[in-house]
Amino acid sequence: MSSEIKVAIVGQPNVGKSSIINALSNAKLHVGNFSGVTVEKKEIYLKRDDYDIRMTDLPGIYALNAYTPEEQVAKDFLVDEDYDVMVNVVDANTLSRNLIFTMQLLDMHRKTVLVINMVDEIEKKGGTLDEKSIEKLLGIPVVLTSAKENRGVEEIITQIIKLHNSVLSKNKIYYNEKVEQRIEELAKILRKSPHFKSEDYSRFLAIRLIDRDENIYKMIHDLPIFIEAHNALEKMYKDLESEFDEESTTDILANERAAISYNLQMETLDIKEENESLSEKIDNFLIHPIFGLPIFLFFMWALFQLTFVLGNYPMNLIDSIFIETSSFLADFLPKGIFNSVLTEGVLPAVGAIVMFLPNILVLFLGLNLLEQTGYMSRAAYLMDGFLKKFGLQGKAFVPLVSGFGCTVPAYMAARTLKNPKDRIITMLVLGFMSCGARLPIYVLLVSAFFANQNPGNMLFYIYIGGAFLGLIVAKILRTVLFKGEPEPFVMEMPPYRFPSFKALGMDLWIKTRMFLKKAGTFIAIAAMVIWFLSSYPVNNTLVQNYNAKIEQTVDINKKMNLKNELNAKLLENSYLGDFGKFIQPVFAPLGFDWRLSVAVVAGLSAKEVVVSTLGTLYAMSGATETSKGLVAKMRQNVDFKAAIALIIIIMIYSPCLAAMGTFYTEVPQWAWRIFYTIYPNVVAWLLAYGVYKTLALMGY
Amino acid sequence: MKTISDLKIDEEAIVQKIMAKEPVKGRLLSMGIVKGAKVKVMAHTLARQTWDILSNNTKVALREEEAHSILVKGLHE
Repeated sequence: MSSEIKVAIVGQPNVGKSSIINALSNAKLHVGNFSGVTVEKKEIYLKRDDYDIRMTDLPGIYALNAYTPEEQVAKDFLVDEDYDVMVNVVDANTLSRNLIFTMQLLDMHRKTVLVINMVDEIEKKGGTLDEKSIEKLLGIPVVLTSAKENRGVEEIITQIIKLHNSVLSKNKIYYNEKVEQRIEELAKILRKSPHFKSEDYSRFLAIRLIDRDENIYKMIHDLPIFIEAHNALEKMYKDLESEFDEESTTDILANERAAISYNLQMETLDIKEENESLSEKIDNFLIHPIFGLPIFLFFMWALFQLTFVLGNYPMNLIDSIFIETSSFLADFLPKGIFNSVLTEGVLPAVGAIVMFLPNILVLFLGLNLLEQTGYMSRAAYLMDGFLKKFGLQGKAFVPLVSGFGCTVPAYMAARTLKNPKDRIITMLVLGFMSCGARLPIYVLLVSAFFANQNPGNMLFYIYIGGAFLGLIVAKILRTVLFKGEPEPFVMEMPPYRFPSFKALGMDLWIKTRMFLKKAGTFIAIAAMVIWFLSSYPVNNTLVQNYNAKIEQTVDINKKMNLKNELNAKLLENSYLGDFGKFIQPVFAPLGFDWRLSVAVVAGLSAKEVVVSTLGTLYAMSGATETSKGLVAKMRQNVDFKAAIALIIIIMIYSPCLAAMGTFYTEVPQWAWRIFYTIYPNVVAWLLAYGVYKTLALMGY
Repeated sequence: MKTISDLKIDEEAIVQKIMAKEPVKGRLLSMGIVKGAKVKVMAHTLARQTWDILSNNTKVALREEEAHSILVKGLHE
C-alpha cells in the first residue's frame, strides 16, 4: 500500500520556485486553474519509495496580507486547504527579506521544510550559509539547493517524507512579551468557539487578527464569540499601539518579524559586502535615464519584426496543409451537408486561425524571455511615467504592445497587472490596439481610397491613431469610472537571470495545446454557425435559372461571372442576407449598404472574415485583399465618407469572438463583461458618424 | 525630515518611518523596506518620477509619491 503526502509549495516571487519544480526528476506536471478563478494552478505528482507525493505550486506571494488576486488564492489555500507538509522556498541572496514571510508562515505551526535556493550564487561571492544554525533557531528542517546546478533538490523530497512520518516539533516563533500576552489572551477567547479548539490554530488566528487580517476578521464575524473577541481586539490595538508608539499593530508585528529575520541572517550568513554586481552593470545601461527608453523601444520593435518575419515562414505551409486537406476531403467524403460544412465552413475557418499560431508562439517566446530574464520589470520602470499620464501603470505596457499582434494573448498578458482596477482598465482599452488580423481590411480600404498617398504611412497612422485613442479612453475611464489616482507602483526588480530553456519550452507547449484546443472547439463551432447562416435557405428556382444560363454560355469568364452573380444572389437571400438587411438601418447613417453591414457584423467572429465576406458579397469569389477587382468594386459601390467610417468602425469596435471569449474567462464580473461588450461598439459608431458628417460638411 | 525622494543617486540612508497607507505600506515592508533598513538610491528616471531603490539586496521600483512617503536619515546623521 502506498500512502499519499499532500504538499504545498509556497514562496515569494522570484525565488526560483518553478526552477526547483523543473529540476525534480520523474515528476508529472498538471496545469489547470484554481477553482473559480483564472489563476494558474500547477500540480506535480511523483512517486518515491512507497509514497505518492502530490505537490501544489502556489502563486508567488509576498506576505499573508494578501494584495493581488494571486496572493489571495495562495493565502486561501494555505489557510483553508488540507495538506500534510508545507515547503517554503526562499532565495539565499535576499534571505532576511524572505524570512519575514517565513515568520508569518511559521505562525501557522505546521510541518514545514525551509528550502534556501540559489546557494551557488552566495558561494560564488565567497559566502557561507550555516544551515544547521537556522534549523536550530527556527526548529524546522532546512535544505540548501541550487536548482540551476541540480543540487539538493532530491533532498527536499527526503525531508518531506521524513517530516511526514514524524511528530510536529514544539518550536514556535516568540514575539515580544507584550505581544505574546495579547496573543494568548485572544486565543483563549477564540477557543471558546468549537471551531477553534486546536491550540495551534487559535494561536495562528489570534496573531492574524492582531495583524489586522481582514479575511480572518470576517471569518469570526458571525460566531457567538465575536463581540467578546472584537472588544478584546479593539483594546489590544489601542494599548499595543500606544505601548510601542506605532500607528498600527500591523507595523509592530512587521517590525518584530523584520528584527528576528535580520538577526537570523546576521548569525547564519557570512558574506562580504559586494561590489557592483553584474546586474547593476547591466542596469547602468538598460535603465539609463536617457538611453533606457530608446533601447527598450528598440527591443519592442525587434520583437515585432521577429513575430511577423519568423511567424510568416510556417504560415503558408499551415495554410496549404489546410487547403489540401479540405480539397482532399471534399472529394473523398460523400457529397452532402456534412462534406460542405466541414470543407467549406469549418476547415478554412480553423485553418485561418491556426495559421497565426507561429506568430503567437514567437510573440509569447519573446514576452516570456523578457519576463524570465527580469527585463520586463525594467520596461515597466521606464514606461511608468508616460503611462501614468493616462491613468495606467508601467506594467500595462506589455499587454498593450502585445495587442498589436493579437488581442487574445494580450488579454492573457494583462495578468501581469496585479491590481484589479489597473487590469480592467487596460483590458478595456486593449481592443484599440489594432491586431494583425485587421491588417488585410486596412490594406484593402487604403488601396481603394488612398491610392495617391503612401499606403505604409496610412497604415502607420491607423495603428498609432488607434493606440492614442486607447490611451485617451483609458484616461476617461480612469476619471469617470475609477476615480482617483492610478494604484501605487511598487515593484520588485529581480536580478537578471539566464532563462531556463526547459521552462520556456514547457510554457510554449502549454500555450500551443490550449490554443489548438480552442481552435478545434470554439472557432470550429462559430465557423459552422456562420456557414449555415450564409448557405441557407437555398432558393432552388434561382439556382435552376442560373445553371441553365451557365450551360448556355461558352465564354469561361462569363461563366465565372454568372457563378459569382448566383452566389451573391443566394447570399442575399440567405439568413445572413436577411440579417444584413435587418441590421442595415443601424449602419445606414454611416453610408453602409447591407453588404458592408454584414461584413462588419461577420467581423465579430474573426476579423479575417471581413475581407472574405466583402469579396463574396461584391460577387468576387476567391477575392483577397490585393485583388484589383475587389478594390475597383469597392471604389464603385462605397463612397469615400463611408470608407473612412468603416476604417474607424474596424479600429474601435469589439474584437473577434475568440478575444471576447478570452475577456470573459479573464474577467468574471458580469457588469464588466456587459460594459465591455457594448461600449466599444457605441464609441465606434458615434465616432464614425461624427467623422462621416464632418466629411459631408467639408464637401466630400 | 528627509525622504527617499530627497536623496541623490548612490546616496545611502536608514529608513525611519513609512508614511504610506496600507496596502502600499505592507507591500514595502514585505520587500524589505522596513524601519531601520538601509536603502540606497540606484537610479531614477529623467523626470524623477520613478525610482530604483536597493534595500536588503532587493531592487524595488517606486513612484515619486511612494519614495516621498519614506522618511530616512543619512548614514552619518
